[in-house]
Amino acid sequence: MSSVPLHAGAPSPASTGPLAALKALRGRMPAWLPWFVGRLLSGIGVVLVISFIVFGATQALPSDPARIILGPEAPEHTVDTLRRQLGLDRPLALQYVDWAQQVLSGNLGRSIDSNVPVGELMAGRFANSLTLTLAVAAVAFPLALVLGIFMALRRDSLADRAVLSSVVLFKAVPGFVIGICLVMIFSTSVFSILPAASLLDPSLPAWRQPQYLVLPTATLALSVATYLLRLVRASMIEAMDSEYVTAARLRGVPERRIIWRHAVPNALIPAIQGVAMTFRVLFGGAVLAEVIFSYPGIGNTLNAAIEMRDLPLIQGIVLVITVGVVVINLAADLITVLLTPRLRTATRIRARSPGLRNAASLWRTGKSWRVSV
Amino acid sequence: MSAHVSSLRAVLSARQVRFGLVLTLAVVGFALFGPLFAPHAPTDLVGITYGRPTAGAPLGYDYIGHDVWSRVLAGGVSVVWMSLASAAIALAAGTALGLLAAFARRRVDQAIVWFTDVFMAFPDLILVLLIVSMLGRDHWIIVLTVAVAFAPGVVRLSRGIALGVVNQEFVEAAEMMGYPRSRILFREILPSILTPLLVHLGIMLTWAVGMLSGLAFLGYGVAPPAADWGLMINENRAGLLIQPAAVFGPVLLIALFALGTNLLAEGVGRVTSRIEERRS
Amino acid sequence: MRAGLAAGGGLVLGGLLPGCSDGGKAPDGAAVLTDTPRRGGTVRFGVIEGGQAGNLDAHKPVGSGAFRGWALYAKLWEWGLDARPKLALAEETEVNADATEWTIRLHKGLEFHHGKTITADDVIFSLLRLTDPQLASPYAGYLYSLLRNDVKKLDERTVRIPFEKGAGLVALAECWMSWGGIVPTDYDPVSNVVGAGPYKLKSFTPGQRSVFTRFDNYFKAGQPYFDQVEILDFSDQTGRLQALQARQIDIAPNLPFEQLAFLQADPRFEVVASETDVWHSFDMNLEKAPFDDPRVRKAFRLIADRDELVARVLQGQGRVANDLYSPSDPAFNHDIPQRRQDLAEATRLLKEAGHGNGLDVELVTAGGAGANAALVFAQQAKKAGVNVTVTKVDGSIFTGPKRNDWTFSTGGSVSRPFLLTVQQHDGPRAVGNKTHFKDPRFAELITQALGQPDLDKRRALIGEAQRIQHESGGMLIWGYSNVLDAVSKDIGGVTPDRTGFAGWRTDRIWRRSLTT
Repeated sequence: MSSVPLHAGAPSPASTGPLAALKALRGRMPAWLPWFVGRLLSGIGVVLVISFIVFGATQALPSDPARIILGPEAPEHTVDTLRRQLGLDRPLALQYVDWAQQVLSGNLGRSIDSNVPVGELMAGRFANSLTLTLAVAAVAFPLALVLGIFMALRRDSLADRAVLSSVVLFKAVPGFVIGICLVMIFSTSVFSILPAASLLDPSLPAWRQPQYLVLPTATLALSVATYLLRLVRASMIEAMDSEYVTAARLRGVPERRIIWRHAVPNALIPAIQGVAMTFRVLFGGAVLAEVIFSYPGIGNTLNAAIEMRDLPLIQGIVLVITVGVVVINLAADLITVLLTPRLRTATRIRARSPGLRNAASLWRTGKSWRVSV
Repeated sequence: MSAHVSSLRAVLSARQVRFGLVLTLAVVGFALFGPLFAPHAPTDLVGITYGRPTAGAPLGYDYIGHDVWSRVLAGGVSVVWMSLASAAIALAAGTALGLLAAFARRRVDQAIVWFTDVFMAFPDLILVLLIVSMLGRDHWIIVLTVAVAFAPGVVRLSRGIALGVVNQEFVEAAEMMGYPRSRILFREILPSILTPLLVHLGIMLTWAVGMLSGLAFLGYGVAPPAADWGLMINENRAGLLIQPAAVFGPVLLIALFALGTNLLAEGVGRVTSRIEERRS
Repeated sequence: MRAGLAAGGGLVLGGLLPGCSDGGKAPDGAAVLTDTPRRGGTVRFGVIEGGQAGNLDAHKPVGSGAFRGWALYAKLWEWGLDARPKLALAEETEVNADATEWTIRLHKGLEFHHGKTITADDVIFSLLRLTDPQLASPYAGYLYSLLRNDVKKLDERTVRIPFEKGAGLVALAECWMSWGGIVPTDYDPVSNVVGAGPYKLKSFTPGQRSVFTRFDNYFKAGQPYFDQVEILDFSDQTGRLQALQARQIDIAPNLPFEQLAFLQADPRFEVVASETDVWHSFDMNLEKAPFDDPRVRKAFRLIADRDELVARVLQGQGRVANDLYSPSDPAFNHDIPQRRQDLAEATRLLKEAGHGNGLDVELVTAGGAGANAALVFAQQAKKAGVNVTVTKVDGSIFTGPKRNDWTFSTGGSVSRPFLLTVQQHDGPRAVGNKTHFKDPRFAELITQALGQPDLDKRRALIGEAQRIQHESGGMLIWGYSNVLDAVSKDIGGVTPDRTGFAGWRTDRIWRRSLTT
C-alpha cells in the first residue's frame, strides 16, 4: 500500500514498427494515432505474456489443490478422482489451451473451493473493490488537488511546511499500521462509532452500506493522498515558475486568471499519471486494508484463493487485475498525450516522453529531475 | 572532485537530511547492536501470556510468554538487512538493465522495456505473494522477490536518465574521440545518474520496510520462532487491547525506520535538485 | 440493552444469566430478558475456517461448509452432548451380531424443507451419494466395507445396510452423525439445496455470508427458535474479535486461546468453555531416524512437560493427555498410568540409543495452537540435550501431498469416538497415518473391535490396542483442549458440550432479549 511502483508508462519504442507501416496513412489521421495503435498492440502482447505467466505461476504453486480442498481425511484414491475431474492430471500445455479458450469465450471456470463460477464470484468482489477504490478516489483526489494547489500558492509558508512535514509521516508509515490505529481509535478502544469489520451484506451494493466503507477508505486515502498531494504541489510550483506564466504576468493578465486558466490545467497533466498510479496501487495494494477490515474485496479473495490453491480463481483474479492495469496505463498515456499540445501534434513522439518521466519523478520525490536534453 | 565534496557538504547541511540520517542510523544501530543487550534469548519462555510490563520486562510479555523487550532488541536485524538487501539488489540489477537498454538501444532496449511493462502490470504485493507461496519463505527468497518487484521501476528510472545523458554533447564528444565505452560509462554517465539513483534507493528502502512488514503481517514473511518486528505485529495483534506494548514497540521502530529512510532520501533529492537548479 | 445485560453479572461459564427471571423487564424497558427458549430474532455467527470458503454439499462438508451443514441437514443419528450418537431422524436401529447388517427405521411423518416426506428411498440415495466414488467425498473412506449394491429398502420407512463378511462396521452411527446428512432424491448441491435441518437456505455467498430461515416442520417440536440465521466467514482472527466487540456478530465459535483473557474481561460476553476430546500431539515418523528407535520415542514422550504445555499453549483450558485419544469413548482404557516428565530417564534412553552427545530434530508445524506447542516443546527439549528446530510452513504445504512424510510434526484432531479416530490416524487403512505406525496385533484388535457390537467385548479389544499405542505408538499426545465459544449475553442455549460443537447447534440456540 505504501509502496508505489514507478512507472513512466510512456509511449513505447515498440511502436516504431507499426508506426512505419502506418506512415503512408499519416496525412489523414491524427498525429498521435499511429503511436496509440502501436501502444495498443504492445499492450495486447503484454496481456498474452501475462496469461502465460499467470497460468504457469499458479500451476507451479506447490501442493495439490485436490488434496487441500478435500482435507487430510480423504483417501488417496478419492483425491485422484477429484484431480481427474478437475483436469489437473492432463499435460500443462493442454490445460493452458483449454483455459485460454474458455477465457476468450468469457468463461473463467469454476472455483475448486466453492464450486461457484469464478466469474460470478469475482463480479461481486470486484464490485466491492471498485466501490472502495472510487470512494478513496473521491476523498483523496479533491483533497490532494485543493491542498496541493493551495500549498503551492503559499509555498514555504508556515501552513505549507506544517502540512508537508505531517504528510511525510503518513507516507512513510506502512498503510496497515495506519489501519490498525484507526480501528483502535474509532471502533474498539477509544470510541466505538464505526464498525471494525466491513461485513458487507452481499444482497445490497456496497455503496448503499457506507458505514462499512468509512474506515477502509480513510486508511487507503491517507496513504494515497499524501503522494498525490505532493505531486500536485510540485507540478503546480513548476507551472507557476514557467516562462508562460511569467510572460502572462508581464502582459498584465490578472493573477487569478493566470492560476486557474494557465497554471492549474498544466499542473494537472502530471497528475493524470499520478491518478493512474493510484488506481494501480489500489487495485493490487488494497490487500492489507481488506484483510484488516475483513472487507470482502478482491484482495482478500485472492489471499484466500492462494492459501487454498483455488487455481481457477487465482488465475481469474490475477488476469483481470493485470489486464486492468494495462488498460489504465494505456488510458493515462492517451489522455496525457491528448492534453499536451506539444505531444498531440508531434509527428513522431519521442520514445520516452520527458513529461511522463517527470511525472513519475515528481510522484516519488515531489521534485522533478532536471535532465537537460 | 571538489564539486562532489561541496555538494555532499550541502546535502549534509540540510536539516531534513541530517534528521533523516540520524533517525536511520539510530534504528540501524539499535537493530545491529540490540541483540547484544537482550536480557533473554528471543525464544525463552519467561513470563505468562500477554503478561503486563514489569520492572524486569519493560515491555511485558507476548502471546506465549517471550520477553517483548528481548524480542524487540533481537527482531530488527532481519528487518534491516532484508530491506537493505532487497533495495540494493533491485538497484544494482535495475541499473544494469537500464543502462544496458539505454546503451544498446533498438532491439535490446525494446525487449527490456517491454518486459518491465509486463512485470509492472502485476501489482507489487500480488507478485510477491505469488512468488513467495510458490518458492517458500526462506529469507533470501523473500529478499529476491521484493527486489524483483522493485527492479522494473529502477530500470525505467536509470534508462530514462541515462538516455538523457547519452544524448548530451560531452558523451558524443567522448565517443567521437574514441574513448572506450566502459570508460564513458564509468567516468561520465554513472556519476551523473548516481544521485537520483541513491535517492531512489532510499525510497525503495521505505517501500521495502512497508512491504516486508506487510508480508509478515499477512503471514507470508519471516516465520516463527524468529524474532522479527513485522512478525511480532502479526503474532501479538490478538493481544493488542490487553498488552499493547507487544505491538506498539515493533510498530514504532518500523515507522521510525521507514520515516528516517524517507526523510533522508527526500532530503537528498530536494537538496541536489536545488543545487542543479542553481547550476543551470 | 447493554446496561441491562451488564447488570446481569460477570463471567458465567456455561450457565444461564443469573438474576433474570422469566420475561423480566430490563431496566430501560426496551428489552425483554427471559430464561426459557423463545422464538424470533436473528443470530449472526462469525466463523473461521482458514481461507476455505467451502460449499453447501451435504456429503462434502469442507471449510465452513461443515458449519452450514449443522443448519441445513439432519441425520439418522446426531451428536449427543456427551459426544455419543443419539437417534435423530431414525426411530429405531438394529445391528446383527457381527455388525454386517444394520436395520434402520425412520420416524413417521418427517419432512424435507421443500415439503416432501422423508422415505427409505431418500436414506438409500443419501448413503449411495456419500459413498459414490465420483462425488469424491473425503469421508466416504470411513464406510470402506459397505456393500453399496446390496443396500435394501424393506418398506417405506425401513432400510437394511449390509457390510462385508468379516469386516462389519459397528461405528456406522458415529460416521453417520458426522457426515451423513439425509437429502431428498432430487437433491443438487448447487441448484436444489434441500435437507431436513433446522434452517432452510436463503442465500449463499462463498467466503462471505450465508443466510438461513427457520424450517417450521423441523423434526424436533418447537425448535428451532430464530427467524433467521446468518453465518459470516472471517479469514482473520483479530478481525472477528473486533467484529464481536463492535457487536456485529453474536457468537464466535472456537476462539483461539490467546483471546480468552481479553473476552473474559468484557462483561458483554460469556465464554462458554466445553471440555472435549480435542487432542494435540507431536507426531513421530516411525520410518525415519531417529524415531525408528522406540527408545527415542519413549524419551520424547518423557521430555514433554504436559502441564506446562496445557498452561501455556491452552491457557490452562484443557487437561493433560496420556498419549491416547478419545477419552470420552465408553471403551477408553483409563487404567494405563499417566506419563509424566522424567528428564533423567529421557536422557538415559537417548544415551542408550546412541544420542548421548545431543540430538537435532526439525519440528514442522503450520500455525495456531500447534505452532505454539512446538515453541514450548523446543524449550523443554533443550533440558534433555535435544535441539528442536521449529519450522513453520503454510497450511497448504503442511496438509498437502507431503503431509505424511514429515519426520516430526505437530498434530491432533477434533473430538471424535475412538473407532473413527483410529481409522483416520494409526489404524489399518488409516489415510492420515503420519507416524507410519503398523503393528500387526494392533491392526487385528482394531479390525475385531470395528465388528464387535457388544460394548464389554469391545472394551477389552480397545483396551489392549491402547496399551500397544501407549507403549510403542508414534504419537506424543500431550493434551486435550477445551473448546471456547464467545457468546453475547443476549444469546441463550449455548451450553458446554463434550463434542466441542456448543456454538454450532443452531437448533438449540435462541435470543434472550428481543427489542419490543
